[in-house]
Amino acid sequence: MDTTQLLKGVLDLAVLAVLRDEDGYGYDILRRLREAGLDEVGDASVYGTLRRLFGAGLLTTYVVPSESGPHRKYYALNAAGRDQLTRSGKTWRSFATTMDRLLDDRGMAA
Amino acid sequence: MTVTGQEITDYVDRVRAALADLPPEVREELTEDLPEHLAEVAAEDGGSLVERLGEPEVYAAELRAAAGAGGPSDGRRGLEQRIGSFVGRVRVRLSGLDTRLGPPLGYASASEFLRLLRPAWWVLRGYLAALLLTVLTGEPLALIPQLGGNALVGLVLLVGSVLASIWLGRHADGLGRWPRYLLRAGTLVLVVFALAALMQVDVRARWIGDYGYDPISVRNPYDEVQDVYVYDSEGRLVENARLFDQNGTPIRLGWPSCTDPALPDVNPVQRGYPYCPEQAPFRPRPPAVVPVPPGTAPTTAAPPATAPPTGAAPVPTATAPAPTASAPGPTATAPAPTGPTAPAPTPTG
Repeated sequence: MDTTQLLKGVLDLAVLAVLRDEDGYGYDILRRLREAGLDEVGDASVYGTLRRLFGAGLLTTYVVPSESGPHRKYYALNAAGRDQLTRSGKTWRSFATTMDRLLDDRGMAA
Repeated sequence: MTVTGQEITDYVDRVRAALADLPPEVREELTEDLPEHLAEVAAEDGGSLVERLGEPEVYAAELRAAAGAGGPSDGRRGLEQRIGSFVGRVRVRLSGLDTRLGPPLGYASASEFLRLLRPAWWVLRGYLAALLLTVLTGEPLALIPQLGGNALVGLVLLVGSVLASIWLGRHADGLGRWPRYLLRAGTLVLVVFALAALMQVDVRARWIGDYGYDPISVRNPYDEVQDVYVYDSEGRLVENARLFDQNGTPIRLGWPSCTDPALPDVNPVQRGYPYCPEQAPFRPRPPAVVPVPPGTAPTTAAPPATAPPTGAAPVPTATAPAPTASAPGPTATAPAPTGPTAPAPTPTG
């Protein structure tokens, strides 16, 4: 199954997750996602997701000047964002557990 | 950093063009940070934006999906989007051309240069408007506007028109929507009028050039005559002919291009025509008497041929060959060689 199809549903959650411990700017967030194993995630997807989460009021932004390059726009979770992360995380775990059980029952190897 | 600001701008413009079907506020919300974001991407590692991120249209599609903005759904929106994206791409091309043409002109962009020319256009526009007004009042088209044949009134009109045009140019930004449309329509009329007037003036200028000074040929048609050959009614070349005009003045044409050592050493121009008979364009027919019937030739040729030898030995005349004739004496041999070859034509011709 194509990972990109799955990714579409959970990219919000993935982005929220990588911002839980540390704020990040667009390209930095993309790099973290890829380092975590989501190789197929595209820049436009991350950027679009960030815009949408920001538009939904789950993120705050601030600009950090840089001496060596362009200014960077950092994204941070706000209270609503953390709340959303917790709820979506629970939904995902429950969903994943259900899927795991389903696959185990049918004798599929993990 | 290998990615230029222009590349980022172009990329963003193409992404925006691909999202042209979205409501403007949604599109703006999606792309307002895009230049900064792409600048961050550009700062990271090598390669062009397209190499790193793919084509802007693909990027836009991914962005659209990730942001949940909805895709181009039915056909009409698809068409609108395609038109929008086409317009956007044309606009990007034009802006690229604009910035590329700028440096050769010495400016950052071509439009910056053209903006400097705007006051000049205002003046020209005023002049054209004055010209159009005079033509509309029935005056013939001319380069200096006149009203009723009065140049002073025309001048006043011209100055007023130019000043009005400059004022309009300086205040065009403050105009409402309809006056602005009107101004554009008027500009279009003036441009068409200017082109038509230019063509007519051009045609007139060329007409004067053609007929005002009709060139007269000063070339003498006899300049290239080198020699004159006169033929009589029988087609025979007349030698030493002299030509005179109605006043008895000798007609001198050409020049002797050949030198004949046999001719006396006089001024060749004083000789008659032709100077060079051997270069005659038409050869006279060979004399009709040459092909003499074989039977009659000996009888006519014999008496003159035998006459010169003055009763020398009769033997050589009959046989004619030179070697045998040379034996009796040198005086008899001289006419002998010419006798059999040439004598027949000379007496008759």
